[in-house]
Amino acid sequence: MPHLVLDRISIHYDGQPAPAVERVSLDVAKGDFVVLVGRSGCGKTSLLNVAAGLVAPTGGRATTNGKPITAPGSDRAVVFQNDALFPWLTARENVAFALRLRGVQPAERARRADELLALVKLTDAGDKRIWELSGGMRQRVGLARALAAEPEFLLLDEPLGALDALTRERMQTTLLDLWAASDVGVLMVTHGIEEALVLATRIVVLAPGPGRLVRTFEPVFSRRYASGETIRAIKADPSFAAARGELTDAIFEGEGA
Amino acid sequence: MTVTSYTERPNRKTEAVDALSVPWSGPRPKRTGISARMISAVTILAVLAVWTLAARLQLVSPVFLPSPLGVWNKFIVVARDGFVDATLLQHAVASLARVFAALVAALLIGVPVGLAIGISTIGRGIFDPLLEFLRPIPPLAYLPLVIIWFGIGEPSKILVIAIAMLAPVALSTASGVRGVSQERSNAARSLGATRTQVARHVILPSALPSILTGLRIALGAGWSTLVAAELVAATRGLGFMIQSAAQFLVTDVVVMGILVIAAIAFVLEFTIRRIERVLVPWAGRE
Repeated sequence: MPHLVLDRISIHYDGQPAPAVERVSLDVAKGDFVVLVGRSGCGKTSLLNVAAGLVAPTGGRATTNGKPITAPGSDRAVVFQNDALFPWLTARENVAFALRLRGVQPAERARRADELLALVKLTDAGDKRIWELSGGMRQRVGLARALAAEPEFLLLDEPLGALDALTRERMQTTLLDLWAASDVGVLMVTHGIEEALVLATRIVVLAPGPGRLVRTFEPVFSRRYASGETIRAIKADPSFAAARGELTDAIFEGEGA
Repeated sequence: MTVTSYTERPNRKTEAVDALSVPWSGPRPKRTGISARMISAVTILAVLAVWTLAARLQLVSPVFLPSPLGVWNKFIVVARDGFVDATLLQHAVASLARVFAALVAALLIGVPVGLAIGISTIGRGIFDPLLEFLRPIPPLAYLPLVIIWFGIGEPSKILVIAIAMLAPVALSTASGVRGVSQERSNAARSLGATRTQVARHVILPSALPSILTGLRIALGAGWSTLVAAELVAATRGLGFMIQSAAQFLVTDVVVMGILVIAAIAFVLEFTIRRIERVLVPWAGRE
């Protein structure tokens, strides 16, 4: 069973007086949707970068399926806040990028890319250039591009952070649909409290100075969505409001806010 | 001429404030009447007028200053009958061939060097001082050395132009590489790209707009060293034509040659801007 494990990770950037992250452990199994939340400076993105292999931890061990993470790899595809798409390629070619790196034949990779574009509800956008797409469409292309690599884990660094509220809500359902349809494990960083509650099977709350784990939650809402409830109905449920209050308290714990 | 544009002004202003303008926004502070393009056209016409007048009144001896009409007639004659054993077209083709050969050489060397400078510290350490040394030296200064080393044949001429082109190509490439977004490279690596694949599929296309700008600057730089390159032992070329004409004091050919060089430079610049728009339509749109 694929398993991404961060074991007592510490990150101390050169020239910084204090570590950014101190002894944080978490694990993501196949089918998990783990969301990292916390105030600015709690090291959410640093942890995600360790999982991605973009940052080497100064302490602790990061492994996938027991093997240490030393470099980025397509088993852990990353989607960034600023889509990081390639403007010299069409939407379809962007999606097919990972396949091209592997030497898949053009016809086959176009077919795969179109399937993935349909999956993120961008059926007709394949020939579009990146600058012709809206922010939400770009993030869909970014997601499809990451999925094309057939990763075991999807690492999402505030992928919806730059979107407007309505687009963001629609993207949340897209994310849930994609996650439910595949068997990837997701590790996501977000600032959105409701977003974390809607999407996560586990929420990891971090506190800053230095970044450390304060609490974990296991919300049920994404399972409820998977069994047919709408996001709107879930958000209107009193239990959702209660969970939101509890999570907000945990995030701002000890800050007096 | 100024008077004409002045009389045009009031009309333009009434056009700007039309029925759709809303009172609270006010008319936009548009530069009414004269555009920079018009001023340029007027300037060129004025220069031509002064030139014609000076030649007509013989303020300067025709040996030193031929009339515009005389230069035009010379253009026709040289285009048809040639000058120093070659037609104008043959001279131009000879020069263009040298410049393009030099451009290919400069790109083959300059782009990899620029990539090395932009990507690796070692590359920057090696090539930066060399380029900074080469960049400010005028072509006429290294021309004798190039001839001593490589003789008076065609390779020397191409080399002189290529040296002038190398620095703009390499430095523009390097600055393009340094401007590549880290997120884009990281995204590619997390999709399974090796370092070589990142260089080929992400860094190179990201830097392409800068490389093309470098190419445009290089072509300008190379074209302007043309006369120097054709100074020794050339039998064809626009630079050679001008020098031969100068030796016989055929001033109208000299002036005509200068104008032809300028015109070709203008066309090249225009063409490359077109190519840029086709090749890197995303530049400035991200």
